Amino acid sequence: MDIVQVVGPLVCTRRHPGLHQYSLRLLRDAKGKYLVALDTCSSRPGNWVFVVSGSAARHGCGDPAVVTDLIIGGVIDFWDEQNGQA
Amino acid sequence: MKIYKVEKPLVATNRIPGMEHKHLQVVLDGKTRAVAVDSVGCSPGDWVICVGSSAARDAAGSRDYPSDLTIVGIIDYWDEGQG
Repeated sequence: MDIVQVVGPLVCTRRHPGLHQYSLRLLRDAKGKYLVALDTCSSRPGNWVFVVSGSAARHGCGDPAVVTDLIIGGVIDFWDEQNGQA
Repeated sequence: MKIYKVEKPLVATNRIPGMEHKHLQVVLDGKTRAVAVDSVGCSPGDWVICVGSSAARDAAGSRDYPSDLTIVGIIDYWDEGQG
């Protein structure tokens, strides 16, 4: 699991049926690289969150048939970016 | 999921039987090229999101499909400057 920051929502009207209507978030990791994750815990832009990757992500959202490899596992209450400490 | 830009379709007639006749696309992550199975029907120039892992196999059609990168959505609006 990795710690990343939410940049904002990502809109995809045309999507694979397996993605259902789950909302997507654009995230940025520590190296500045952009990622997309499925969001089930209503994160807001600027929030620091932890993400679950791989096939564990599919079980994390409650439906193992969902086609995702990354979901937001939870919103971190307090996170200091400089020290990397909660 | 990672964000890619679709460059062009990839035509490969001689392929392993498991790959069936699914459309393949050449996708760009910066300057790195990759090949992804197209499950939504995208066009060159589209910005798309791709899944890997076991979701790539399921999204491509079945659990046995030999894909490790599958396009699952076309991004409605993407500002290239921020990516």
